[in-house]
Order: sequence, then C-alpha cells, then structure tokens
Amino acid sequence: MVGMRRFSSAGLRLAVAQALVVVVAFALAGYMAEVSLTRITQQSARTRILGEAASLDDEAVQKGVAHLPYTVAKRSRLWRGFEYRVADAGRAPLAGMLPEPKLAAGWEELVGPARGTLGTTHYLAYTHRLSDGTTLTVGQDLATEAGEMAAIRQVLIGCGMLGVAVCLILSALVARRTWRRIATISDAADAVARGRLDIRVPVAKRSMHDDIDTLALAFNGMLNRIEGLLDQVRQVSTDIAHDLRTPLNRFGQKLERLRRQVDDAPESLAAVKALERDLDEIVRTFDALLQLSEIETTEPAADTTLVDIAEVAGRVVEAYRPDIETGGRSIRFAGKTVLVHGDERLIAQSVANLLENAMRYTPHGSSIAVAALDAGAKATLMVSDNGPGVPPNARSEILKRFVRLPTNRSSPGSGLGLSIVAAVAQRHGGVLTLEDASPGLCARIDFPCAARPAKHPPPAPFPQMAE
Amino acid sequence: MLGATTALSDAHGGASQGPQHRLLMIEDDGDAAAYLSDQLSSVGWQVEQTADGEAGFQKALRQNFDVILIDRMLPSRDGLELVKELRRRGDATPVLFMTAMGAVSDRVAGFRGGGDDYLVKPFSFEELDARLHALVKRGQGASVERVVLKVRDLEINRIERSVRRAGVDIELLPLEYKLLEFLVLRTGQIVTRKMLLEGVWGFQFDPQTNIVESHISRLRTKVDGQAGTPFITTVRGAGYVVAEG
Repeated sequence: MVGMRRFSSAGLRLAVAQALVVVVAFALAGYMAEVSLTRITQQSARTRILGEAASLDDEAVQKGVAHLPYTVAKRSRLWRGFEYRVADAGRAPLAGMLPEPKLAAGWEELVGPARGTLGTTHYLAYTHRLSDGTTLTVGQDLATEAGEMAAIRQVLIGCGMLGVAVCLILSALVARRTWRRIATISDAADAVARGRLDIRVPVAKRSMHDDIDTLALAFNGMLNRIEGLLDQVRQVSTDIAHDLRTPLNRFGQKLERLRRQVDDAPESLAAVKALERDLDEIVRTFDALLQLSEIETTEPAADTTLVDIAEVAGRVVEAYRPDIETGGRSIRFAGKTVLVHGDERLIAQSVANLLENAMRYTPHGSSIAVAALDAGAKATLMVSDNGPGVPPNARSEILKRFVRLPTNRSSPGSGLGLSIVAAVAQRHGGVLTLEDASPGLCARIDFPCAARPAKHPPPAPFPQMAE
Repeated sequence: MLGATTALSDAHGGASQGPQHRLLMIEDDGDAAAYLSDQLSSVGWQVEQTADGEAGFQKALRQNFDVILIDRMLPSRDGLELVKELRRRGDATPVLFMTAMGAVSDRVAGFRGGGDDYLVKPFSFEELDARLHALVKRGQGASVERVVLKVRDLEINRIERSVRRAGVDIELLPLEYKLLEFLVLRTGQIVTRKMLLEGVWGFQFDPQTNIVESHISRLRTKVDGQAGTPFITTVRGAGYVVAEG
C-alpha cells in the first residue's frame, strides 16, 4: 500500500512525462512525414500531368490541333484521372470542364466543379500554348490526393496513439517495479528513523547491479556504519561507566567507613556528610549522562508495551503531591486513559523531572497542573505552572545538556533533566515543546497515539524486493 | 518523631544472636571486597569471599549459601554467565548483582539471567545490607500469601484492604495502604527508600525530592494516631522498619 501511494505521485508523473515525450515525438514525425509525402505526391502528380499533356501534344501533332477537342472529350469520357480545358487563341473554351486558368502558361491551382457531384474541388493544373495559339490545360483533382493524405494521417495518428498507450503501460510497469523497490528502501529508512538499526534492504544477487541496487547497497553500508558507531558509543559508555563507577564505589565506601569512625565528632561528621552529598551529586550527574546516552543510542526494546500515560502521570503526581503541598504549592491533575507504545519507567521519570523543575523554579503559592489528553492522532502530556516562566529565546536553549537559566545556576540540579525528557519524547516518536502558559511555563510532550492505526505498519516481516 | 529513629546496628539486633546467614561474595575489586566483607561481618553475615569467577562458581556448587553477592565483570568467568549456569544446574540460591553496568538493558539481562536483585555501583552499604536481608527472607518464603497480616496491635485485611490499630479502623488512601502493606509484609526487615520507590511506586529513578519521607510522615500521622507508639521506625541512614514487637 505504501508503495502504491508513493507510486501514484512520483511514479505517475514520470509515466505521464514519458507519454508526453512519445506524443510530441510522434506529432513531429507525423508532421515531417506529411510534409515529405505531400511533396512526393505533388511531384508525382506533376509528372503524371506533364505526361498526359505531352501525350495530348503528340496527338495534336499527329492528328492536328483541330482534332484535339475530340481527343479531350474522349479521354474525359474514359476518365483516366485527369480533367482538361482546350481554348482557342481568343481564350474561348473548346472542350473540357476545367475553369479558365489565370495564367497563360505554367502550374496553378484551379477551383472548378467536381466530377460526379454538385460541389467544387481544387485542381492542380498545367497550362501551355500549342503552336497555333490554342491553350491546353491538364488538371488533376487534388481531393483524391488529399484523401490519400488523410488516410495516411489517420494511420499515423492511430500508430501514435497505440505507441503512447504501449509506452504508458510499459513505463507504468517498469516505474511500478522501480517504485516498489524504492518504497522498500524508503520503508527501511522509516524503520531506521524509528530506531530499528537491524534492518537491511534486500539486494538481489546478480552480477550487474542497477541504480536501485546501488542505492540499496549504499543504504545498507550506511546502516552498517551507523550501527558500528553506535556500538562503539555504547562500548565507550560501558567502559566509562565501569572505569568511573569502580573508583567512585571505593570512594563512597571510604567515606562510609570514615563516617562511622567520626560518628561522635559532630564537626567531622558534618564534613563527611558534606563530602557524601558532593559525591551523590557527582554520581547523579554521571548517572543522568549515562542514561541520556543510553536513551539516545539504544534501540527501543522490541517488546515495548502499551502505556496509559494518564495512569503513569497520575501515579507520579500522587507520589509528589505531599512534597508539593508541603512546599506551599498546589497541584491539579486531569486526564483519562490515553495509550501510547513505550517504556513506562521512562515516561514516569519524564513526568517526575518536569514536576521537579516546576517545584524548583516556581515561588511558594504557585500552582502546578498536569494533564494527559487524547488529541486525535496525538497523546499529549502537559505539565504547566504559573511561575515566572522561561523567556521565549531561552526555551530551546534549556533543552540542551547542562544548559540552565542564569538565574537558576545556584540552585541544585544537573541541567540534564529536560534533556532526558526531550530524549525520552524523541525515543517514543514524540516531541517536547516548551510554551508560554501566560503566566508560567507549559512543558508539553506529544506522543504518537497508539489507540489509532499507526502511521507506519509494524516493521516486522520485511518484504523481499521484487526481482 | 521521637523514638521512631534507630541506628542500623540496633535494627539488626536479632541477626548477631540468631543463626548467621551465609553469604558468598564474588568480587574482583580487592578494596571494595575487603570493605564489604568487613562491614557485612560486623552486622552478622558469615562471609565467604573470592575474587575469581571460576573459584566462586565451584564454591557456590559445593557449599550452601543463603545468598550470593556477585560482580558482573569478573576475571576468568563472566558473572552473568556464572549465574545462568548455576540456575541451569537447579541452584536457586538468591543472587544479588552488584555492578558498574547500570544500563536498563544490563539490568534486564541480569534479571533474565537469574539474578534476584541488581545494585549499580556506587551504592551505600545500608542499601546492600537491606537488600541482602530481603533476598534471604524471600528465599525462606515470606508471608506474601497470607490474607490477614498482624503485627503488634496492627491488623491488615488484604481482601478488604482495611487497617485496624488497637481495634480502631484507620482510613488510608490507596497509596498509603500500599505503602503500609509493603512495609508490614517485610516486618523485621529494613526497607530502604530505593526499595520503596521501586516496590510501591514503580519508579526506577531517584527523585531529587523527599517524596518517600513525605509519604511516610503522612502515613505515620494516620497509623500512630494521637498517642500511639510509633509503628514505623526510621533506621538512620538506611530506611524504615516495622519492628516485630
């Protein structure tokens, strides 16, 4: 289906363009054929007319000019395809049905009565003067010729139309096949965009690869490279994690031991606890960075479940409610079941991050609202507050890693919370936007809704490229 | 909250007197292993320790342990493969992975491979100790199936989802009930903040606010009432415990 949809646009355009080219080519060829055929038939008509005139000249020489009207009348009666006019030196007609020529001698086109009908017709006529001043005009009906030409033209047009039809069908077939193959690559690209890096476009095994095979091979090569790079990134993350977590672990243990030793010395105890808090902050930032890299570089698990974002958001809101209320803020939640495909824990963490931001950056007495909405093809999760908000030009900035508003630099937080939310949104095929809640800030995540037919069919069984 | 706080050593009061739990630790980081071994012994664990995967595997096969504490990356034998092999051979000893591999996929692999719990380094000793006890208790078959739970003067009916203390009904919100039930099901064990976040709320992240403390404090006001003795005890630096009485 996807292939057909794409075919109908680009494929059809190509087929129509090809047909147009064929039509123009046929028209041009037909015109040239007609011009040359006309010239050839006129040439042969002239030759024949001249032949007839010469034969009449011979008759006039043998039998005398006076006999010419009888010969003409006889030939006209027998009709060999010619019409005649014999006129005396005073231009008075002696025989034949052709009208009077305008020229005294030479070729011209005459309009005269048509043989056997009441209408008129065009004649190609040749006039010349005999020795005694008699003029003889021999003409041939051009209509016969025109009829032949019309028949030829019809054949040409017929052939042309047949050619166009054949061409359309052929190009449609070829284009369809080509577009199917392109659609396969395009579907693969879509699947990759959705995080499936294990997909490869099937390439036919043959010695001569065509353009699309080359494209498929290049595409697969690119995927191999990306997969390799991501593997490296993952490996680096694992290595960093191991090489840093192990000493951090030892460090934490030494602090613990120290804390126990100085349990009865309040000043030392306070110092150790401060160190532990610092270590905790380092570990938090480190964890957040590793998690961010994991969300961004790993493929979503194949067995993602249906998650009701309203249930998850409600649960997180209830978890934070006592804390929020103790802090002198109010919280409201509204939402009814909205299903998305995804990772429940990551969505919960996103809501938590947004709530923690709202708590951190709004004054006492602020109100926070969380909503889960079913907005047609989208499932929307919103966390808004009526606090000071974020200036429009800083909104996209603060989604970046470690970026924090200058006014908030001194407060706790790693500057990675929103980056994680944005990464989680992206992993779910959604997007995080920060909007003005006038007053305040509204963080909105739009997820593709799972309850409706997915925009893309599930990528599971991959179609073989038609050979 | 006076009288509701205790230190870790007191909370484990029973451990040092009762039968000692046998623990196998397979950890190649010498410093960390020495520290943990020290600390675990001091709170009553009988620790058997090795730095080598293969040696650890042989010990696990030949001896009986109540719980195995194992690093995932070990010389001579991968920790995860080791546990998989133990499970294949029918060994059901509870296993806790302590590891530097903290990605979700690593965690999932750990549980699928037969691990019962997963701690990412660095972690606090209190967290480790609480989780090890929880695993041992689970291994012995806890009271998960019982309908009525009775601890001291508190009674929970798990079908009616009702709570009574000293004969007085206590109205709890669903979340408060879940929190109390979680603690009561683990009576006598220390339950850490992290364990509550995972078990009660299903959160695998670490909130930067005091959500657990706030909920516990709300629950306490309801359960303890005006004059009652504190039902939930705070274990300083570790978590919470419902004492047996």
